[in-house]
Amino acid sequence: MVEATKVESIEFKWGKKRGIGGKKKDVQFYESFCYDGVEYTLYDSVYMYKEGETEPYIGKLIKIWENAEKEKKVKVLWFFRPCEIFNYLGDEKTTENELFLASGDGVGNANVNDLEAIAGKCNVVCSSKDNRNPQPTDKELQEADFVFCRTFDVGNCRILDKIDEKIVGIEAKFLLNRVDNQNTSGVPKLDMNKKEVSENVVATDGTRSLARKEPSLGEKATSSSDVKFDEVTKINDRQVDNSGEMASSSSKAKRISDVKPSLVNQESSLGENSACNSGLGERTKDDKKETMPSDNITSRSKDDVGSSESKVDKVLFNQVLIEEKVKVAKDSGDLDDRPSKKAKLDDLTKASYDNKVKSVQKLRHDSKAVAQTTHAFEDKSKPKLTKDPHEINNGLSKEPKPDEKLARLANGMFPEASLRQPLKEGSKTNYQIQEVTRRPEALKVLASACFVVLDAKLLVKMRFNTYIFVIDMLTGQKQVPWEERMQTALEQGTVVLLQNLDPSYTSAVVEASGWQYCCCFLFPKKAVNLFGHLVINKLRIHMQREMKEAVSTSHCSQPNTLEYDMAMEWCLLQERSDQALRKLRQQQEQELRKLRATLKSK
Amino acid sequence: MARKFRDWVEVLSNMGSTPTPEADYAAFQKKVKRTILIDNLSPQVTASVLRTAFGQFGTVKNVQFIPNYTGLENIPCCALVEMESPRQAEAIVSEITQFPFMISGTPRPVRAFAAEEEMFDDRPIKRGRRIQCRWLDPKDPDFECTNKMKRLVRKHAAEELFLLKHLLGEEEKLAKQQAEELKANYKKYDMIDNVISDGTAQGLARCYHMRNLDD
Repeated sequence: MVEATKVESIEFKWGKKRGIGGKKKDVQFYESFCYDGVEYTLYDSVYMYKEGETEPYIGKLIKIWENAEKEKKVKVLWFFRPCEIFNYLGDEKTTENELFLASGDGVGNANVNDLEAIAGKCNVVCSSKDNRNPQPTDKELQEADFVFCRTFDVGNCRILDKIDEKIVGIEAKFLLNRVDNQNTSGVPKLDMNKKEVSENVVATDGTRSLARKEPSLGEKATSSSDVKFDEVTKINDRQVDNSGEMASSSSKAKRISDVKPSLVNQESSLGENSACNSGLGERTKDDKKETMPSDNITSRSKDDVGSSESKVDKVLFNQVLIEEKVKVAKDSGDLDDRPSKKAKLDDLTKASYDNKVKSVQKLRHDSKAVAQTTHAFEDKSKPKLTKDPHEINNGLSKEPKPDEKLARLANGMFPEASLRQPLKEGSKTNYQIQEVTRRPEALKVLASACFVVLDAKLLVKMRFNTYIFVIDMLTGQKQVPWEERMQTALEQGTVVLLQNLDPSYTSAVVEASGWQYCCCFLFPKKAVNLFGHLVINKLRIHMQREMKEAVSTSHCSQPNTLEYDMAMEWCLLQERSDQALRKLRQQQEQELRKLRATLKSK
Repeated sequence: MARKFRDWVEVLSNMGSTPTPEADYAAFQKKVKRTILIDNLSPQVTASVLRTAFGQFGTVKNVQFIPNYTGLENIPCCALVEMESPRQAEAIVSEITQFPFMISGTPRPVRAFAAEEEMFDDRPIKRGRRIQCRWLDPKDPDFECTNKMKRLVRKHAAEELFLLKHLLGEEEKLAKQQAEELKANYKKYDMIDNVISDGTAQGLARCYHMRNLDD
């Protein structure tokens, strides 16, 4: 029933089959699938990533199939962000996270995409008061990534307050909130059995192979996870809560390791030591298998989920899950926001990043579940245990940064990371080409202006060269307006001039290309004097008798004046300078082109 | 892997006037067409001066100075002047190329050119333009070459700066020469005026039996 296929080493698995269609009965429809460790079911809301777009699109899966060519396809019914239909909004007020469901007849309400374009799950809650819609709780609404209650008719380009009976042939009840609310969270199904848990482990494998591709996996992660593991084992043996000791471990590993002792404790208090041990044994095995140990965090957290899910009482877990999943999803949304704003994660990164987010979520589940169970069990370590998850919660929701950093480090895509150790990873020639897309709030950087001056002055096209060369980094907050940033940058001496930029780069691009912490501007020079404007105070009356009445500050001089002759001299000089500069430019361009020809790549 | 979806979004928004990147870019290109670059401006020139100066040719929509970031201080200022229509801009360029046009000072004329896209620092990104960058590590086969390139670019910048300095020197020389000329001319006129006003000219005319200058 389950067949596994590997696409670009991203783990993939079909779920439940639905039916067979197509002219030759060669199209297999599915109801669910597992992609990159995340389980997707029909009518889930997903982020769809598109190359070159900063913000991922959001849509609902309404059809999933594999065609005769073995291509995996999904049909997606779109949500619109208000900015996408800005024109048709008119006076309609929209909230910040409101979406509009596509409806009506016409182009664009839904279309078919490659399944691989899915970037992750999205928590979209329907806030419609419609009686067909199972009403979401306040909490759910609050924690949702996005809400929708209106639709956008793509045929008439109008906003509708009502949700139609059917949209592109799909009944409304599928599009509204689900009765069991499962689609609203990016959390695995509640009735997850052991088999699926083992699937999870497979998913980890997928992640691992994915991560292995990245050259600059942080050594930091390696060491910290090793430490963590030791500590976990120790705790399991002694059955003591030494979360205080945990505090001394590295800050990045801290939260995760915090979760672990509590989990272990909980397990032991349940009296399932053997099961726990087996779980741990599994972990050890996993660890040993791993060549790139920095994956530990992902894999282990997944294992944890596996063990905890199988052991913790299902009902209890359910209860906890329902309470918490929206919150978790929200957190993941928070995390997700960042990369999309930064606009430089490609889909590969995104995928593995999502994985990490998921694992963090799962950890949180564990911790919460632990907190709940310990209440029931009057364990002596209860106060500490119940406190722990809270800390974790806070840590996770308030500062998602370290994790993100970790993820990025591991991915090696973030320029900061590659900047830090660009040379140490010398053994791998496998480099990452970074795609640059525009950031939404394009701060004004004057790198291009700098070239403008040269260009305008010389009126010769700048040379063409697509490489950006070395620049230094400036640590600064990007919220500060650029004038201030420039000022501080000048004071700190961190101003950098980017030379040899392609003239078609704009300041926004320079900003977006990941050097958002680096200033690319120079201080404008104030011209003090212009040669060639002569002033003879006493003479004015005699010289320009005919100009006396002229008030204008500008004029064309007439050919029969001395002024005209002088102007001609200036024109001559100007022409000569232009020639000289042009000549120089040509020569330089030739030199550069010659050198470029020797480049091996591109 | 081909990722194609939502091509229609563009279609949809082009029907209205939503500022899509394409529309943005088209609007920008139009703006470029009706803009002229004015070079060789005196630092005393302000936006209002430019507005009145070019108000003679048509309606000025916007004036934007281009700051000078290069190391040389006495480089003339330049500004981008946006006119109402491309025709007006063209007319100004041809007019100023034919006749020396002076703003806030003589005799050095200003220069006018049709603006180019690269001159705007706030220009939008060209649609479909993809820019890639990456770090090269020392073992990369291109490392040596790119390093050379880096040095070459630096050399070029130095060359350019040198030439600019030289040209500025030339300009200064010409300015001095013209100042001399002007002073000489002034002296000449001054002398003639004096000669006429103090009666020397009349005396001399009488002496040489010439008709009086005043006749």
